[in-house]
Amino acid sequence: MPRFLFLCCVAFATGAGTTNAAEPPENTTSDSALEADFVKVVQPFLKSYCFACHGDKKQEAKLDLSGYTSLSEVVANHRVWDTVLERLQAAEMPPEKASNQPTALARTAVIQWVEALRDHEALRNAGDPGAVLGRRLSHAEFDYTIRDLTGVDIRPTREFPVDPANEAGFDNSGESLTMSPALVRKYLAAARHIADHVVLKPQGFVFAPHPAVTDTDRDKYCVHRIIAFYDRHNVDYADYFLAAWRFQHRAALGIPQTSLSEIAIKAHLSGKYLATIWSIVNEPETAAGPLGEVQADWRKLLVPDDQETAQRVAEVKRDCERLRDKVVILRKKFAPHLDKMHVPGISDGSQPFVLWRNRQLARQRMRYVPSADSKEEVDSALEAALARFCQYFPDVFYVSDRAPYFDPKAANSGRLLTAGFHLMQGYFRDDEPLRELVLDKAAQHELDVLWLELNYVTLAPNRQYKDFIFFERAEPPRFMQEALFDFARSEDKAATSEAKIQQLSEAHLAKARKIGAGAQALEAIEEYYANISADIRWIEQARRDAEPSHLAALVKFAERAWRRPLALSEEEEVLTFYHMLREKDELSHEDAIRDSVASIILSPRFCFRLDRAEAGEASRPLSGYALASRLSYFLWSSMPDTELLAHAAAGDLNQPEVLVAQTRRMLGDERIWRLATEFAGNYLDFRRFEEHNAVDRERFAGFTNELRQAMYEEPLRFFVNIVSQNRSVLDLLYGDYTFVNPILAKHYGMSIAEEDADRWIRVDQAHRFGRGGLLPMAVFLTKNSPGLRTSPVKRGYWVVRRLLGEHIPAPPPEVPELPKDEAKLGELTLPQVLARHREHRVCAGCHQRFDAIGLVFEGYGPIGERRDQDLGGRPVETKATFPDGSEGAGLDGLQRYLHEKREEQFIDNLCRKLFTFALGRSLVTSDRSTIATTRTRLAADGHRFGSLVETIVLSPQFLNKRGRDDPRD
Amino acid sequence: MSSDHSRITRRTVLRGIGVTMALPWLESISVSGDEPATGGAPQALPKRFAALFMGNGISPKNWSAQGSGADMELSQTLQPLAPLKTKLNVITGLFNKNATGVGIHPGQTGNILSGAPLQKGAVLRGGISMDQVLASRLGEETPQSSLVLGCEQPITGYHETNFSMAYSSHISWQDADSPVPMEVYPSLAFDSLFDNQGSKRTQSILDRVQEHAAHFNRLVSRADQRKLDEYLTSVRALEKQIERTRTMKSKADDRAENKGRRAITLPRPDNGLPEDIREHMRLMCDVIALAFQTDKTRVATLLMCRDLSGLFYPFLDVRLAHHPASHDDNSDAYERVSRYYVSQLAYLASRLAAMPEGESTVLDNSCLLFISNLWSGSQHDSGKVPVLLAGGLGGTLATGRVLDYTDRGDENRRLCSLYLSILDRMNVKLDKFGDSATQLEGL
Repeated sequence: MPRFLFLCCVAFATGAGTTNAAEPPENTTSDSALEADFVKVVQPFLKSYCFACHGDKKQEAKLDLSGYTSLSEVVANHRVWDTVLERLQAAEMPPEKASNQPTALARTAVIQWVEALRDHEALRNAGDPGAVLGRRLSHAEFDYTIRDLTGVDIRPTREFPVDPANEAGFDNSGESLTMSPALVRKYLAAARHIADHVVLKPQGFVFAPHPAVTDTDRDKYCVHRIIAFYDRHNVDYADYFLAAWRFQHRAALGIPQTSLSEIAIKAHLSGKYLATIWSIVNEPETAAGPLGEVQADWRKLLVPDDQETAQRVAEVKRDCERLRDKVVILRKKFAPHLDKMHVPGISDGSQPFVLWRNRQLARQRMRYVPSADSKEEVDSALEAALARFCQYFPDVFYVSDRAPYFDPKAANSGRLLTAGFHLMQGYFRDDEPLRELVLDKAAQHELDVLWLELNYVTLAPNRQYKDFIFFERAEPPRFMQEALFDFARSEDKAATSEAKIQQLSEAHLAKARKIGAGAQALEAIEEYYANISADIRWIEQARRDAEPSHLAALVKFAERAWRRPLALSEEEEVLTFYHMLREKDELSHEDAIRDSVASIILSPRFCFRLDRAEAGEASRPLSGYALASRLSYFLWSSMPDTELLAHAAAGDLNQPEVLVAQTRRMLGDERIWRLATEFAGNYLDFRRFEEHNAVDRERFAGFTNELRQAMYEEPLRFFVNIVSQNRSVLDLLYGDYTFVNPILAKHYGMSIAEEDADRWIRVDQAHRFGRGGLLPMAVFLTKNSPGLRTSPVKRGYWVVRRLLGEHIPAPPPEVPELPKDEAKLGELTLPQVLARHREHRVCAGCHQRFDAIGLVFEGYGPIGERRDQDLGGRPVETKATFPDGSEGAGLDGLQRYLHEKREEQFIDNLCRKLFTFALGRSLVTSDRSTIATTRTRLAADGHRFGSLVETIVLSPQFLNKRGRDDPRD
Repeated sequence: MSSDHSRITRRTVLRGIGVTMALPWLESISVSGDEPATGGAPQALPKRFAALFMGNGISPKNWSAQGSGADMELSQTLQPLAPLKTKLNVITGLFNKNATGVGIHPGQTGNILSGAPLQKGAVLRGGISMDQVLASRLGEETPQSSLVLGCEQPITGYHETNFSMAYSSHISWQDADSPVPMEVYPSLAFDSLFDNQGSKRTQSILDRVQEHAAHFNRLVSRADQRKLDEYLTSVRALEKQIERTRTMKSKADDRAENKGRRAITLPRPDNGLPEDIREHMRLMCDVIALAFQTDKTRVATLLMCRDLSGLFYPFLDVRLAHHPASHDDNSDAYERVSRYYVSQLAYLASRLAAMPEGESTVLDNSCLLFISNLWSGSQHDSGKVPVLLAGGLGGTLATGRVLDYTDRGDENRRLCSLYLSILDRMNVKLDKFGDSATQLEGL
């Protein structure tokens, strides 16, 4: 174990000792003294003042204090006693109404005893990492991990029941995450579903964004990738002419040092093709014919203007577009043309003929083909220029959507890369100009591989050939109707064998000759059989050759899925399982790979987070890999990425400076949105707002799904901004800014500039609109309103419970409900009704702690809209008397009150929540000093979020794990 | 546990290469009847559903029926069903709205069991078919959730309407995007059922997972061991559930065998498909019958031929392939083709009728649907489609009737209404399916 880590922990503990206001006293108290005082002081007090309501007969707030007969029982239930302490300190218990009240001295004695016990326990357990229970991944973590592992967003847990949350409101701890056979069934189905996305390739395998088991799904996957590749390559002449113009005038445009290839990169153009265009337009001599026209037109483009550059560029751009259109029209004259091959007795749509014609056309895309009806004289100079024109400006760069052979005008019919057959499957590659003129070596290779993979993955040639047999035998003119063709059957597995293809080829040619097919037709037929047979043979060979690479990929997959290197035995296990499936279960290669993938995902090594514990009782530092996982599940709710794992492998992740650097890197990553969603979403209780359906949409027509989504995103963006900009956490309370998109801006009465019409922007001085920080966000105001009225109770409760972390017991069951519609409150306003409610002593104890806080939000209606009148037409009242007796009104008043009286509480709660979330367990007594240290450091660092996270990840709790035989487990 | 529960393994079959095509039937297993489920009342007999599809329409002038029960009069094409009149419903006039007005062939077919609108071009989009709805709801009760079989290879090129031919080739769709892969080889369909491939694969995975958990257990703290135990226990419980289903089935198989009936002699053609389509279709019907009898699955579809079919019928003295022949659908030749397909329904139904199950037969507890995508192949007319139902679906479906919906108005003659009715009778309650929100009136 590295020595520096211990030192780090010690430093941490010492640091806590010197700076911590809540520093535990020296451990002078002994167990026996505490035990004695429990009997002498505490028990009699409980009996006299508490048991009447919290004893074995009656359990107000579900609390029974009569069961505590020993010190160890109190220690075991320390959280209950934290509440007892809180109530006694606040002098809220016993309640005023109780006839039997303790003396101040008696109260203090009990308070001191609980405090002493707590300090005693904290010291005794100092440095204890606590019991972090192993647990399955939460559904959110499962989805994120699968996304990072497979590269596609499958969300396999979409149909799972919602995960239960722990006491702190998070669903990421072993305390709440349980397993059941029903859930295992869902896990199994999910693992299978994920495995169905596997696409085997000539080298290794990947995951498609959709299941890839059926032929049609495999087609979709492969075709889409090729289309997406084409779409990525800009072949608009106008953009190339403009780029060449920019280079020509680079000095005047203020970029004198720029190179042609830099311009290409910036404009997302092909450097190769731009160089070609550049050299054409800069030829010393103007060529003849259309090429010369292009050169002349380009040279006539306006020169940059000093004053109005932007305007000038726009003008030139338009001219370039005109020049492009001209090129296209000129080029059309020389478009390749070729009649269909026709032989009586054979369909024009027969595969050999359609493919032959496709090939001829494809070959001519960069060639000069004199137009058929042209009478023009073409001399040799013109012919040479035309040849170059046709070469540099191809007919088309690629054909992505080919028309069927019988209807050449029906392009863009959505058939994508197909050859143009009728009924039969079959693709045809036609992208030579793109390949030659536009793509560099690497891109050429990429495209070649995509086409090979199309054949490999979809078995397109095999299917095409079987369709061919069907078509020629069954469909008119039924070329293969004679009995001598009967041996050829699509359903015959051997139909695609070399021998049977040869047999059919011979029969086909014999008949074609007999009916008088010409040499060209016979050649087309011969080529067809040779090509299709070669394609099919290639696939067979490639599929055999690929199997070892799939097994290697399987091992790699297991390693990534299990988030650590595999032991040799584990690697063997993976392979043994595969071979068992092949040999014993007689599965095909592909099925065996899929089932192996499913078993890797269903393994507890994937779907559980279990840190290996060292033997013995002593706590030890986590291994680098365990630490990497703990860190990534804390900040990203997902598996560690390559960089984290590399540090784990190098063994330096537990060095404080490396750990901090990694933490900072992770906080700046996109994936930090998941911390916003999973931590902030649960901490602030809006995680499920996307499903919020309590708004009366007839009354509030503006509350659309889009507005709901925008409301949901606002706090996420606010939180992400704090994290990624490392801002003060106090911004959550007082930040005078927020984030809006147009729909939310409209809801807030903010005007949006036109260029921001489809994005989120930050709005400063948000107080102008009554916004800024979390408090007045529509999502919370809406979520805490029951439909047709506001709820100061719920809104206030949300502030004290969620933001301030105050513990408030559930209301007694017999409390009457307020009317659902505030228009039906009668003569009283909502504040008046609530004031009356607080006249009941039973209610007052709790309600005076949050009603007033909720009342300041009365200037916001049930969907968080600003308002002067409530739904009953009464003017709203936002003045309130806060729990400390001070007065204030509206958002300002609340912010001032929080700042003066409750800020420490807010920070303390935030620290506790984040600490709980980070560790995946509830807090224990030994965490108290760490929390205190965290707060101190946070204050010292301007309350920056990053320092909060760094303190947590450097804490001994985060870095260590209890020993396997810890008696406390 | 031995992996070889089933006595009816492929090997047994191969050893007993029989010449007989027909299977000496096992007594139906009635799992829950013979074998009281532990600690519960015996369950009702299972209900099954199968759809048999024939592409390109029937011979319209030879397709009709009058009367009811044993007195029902059947036209020429329906003659093969004469012995089954009392078990039959002849339904005319139903249609699939989204299969009309979309041009001919694939657009009229890919939604025959879903009622969903179909999308043209390279990206397939339709809807889940009703058999797969049943499979997803009832599938856990049986070793295999459904059987999706075909006697003709799918093709996936484009039709001139720009619909993919995949729509012509698949009637079972697992969701809006994908057809269910269809098994065209009787041997493989047979293996998947009787080698219990589905549950065996699951078991292999679950076994593997348990090994991992056991290995892990040694390395983690006691508290974590408890968590891991919870997982292991859950995995084991799931495995037991699956195991139980399997064991019950194979016990039933054994019982049947012990009663002196020989094991099934289903020849397993190794190389491609049976040359003769007659043999092929019969084997596929046999697999379905066997699956229903032994409760290996309760849902099956059989695409006897696809739309735009290229099958040949030399044994019917028809020279043209199916699709070209359908263009002359009033010919005697095409009548023979249509009748041949009806005889497949008759074959499967009579097989099921010969399987006693409790007081009734497997047919009485099943619903076999015969359907085509067109009425007239020469007209390419999907304004109404031929529908035959055989079987009483556990007493929930009256039989021996001729029902004509032709003049009831479009709202009241939806195929999806029929599907809702069947789903409902199989205890799958849906508010709507496809383009219908009501069950078929008068069924």
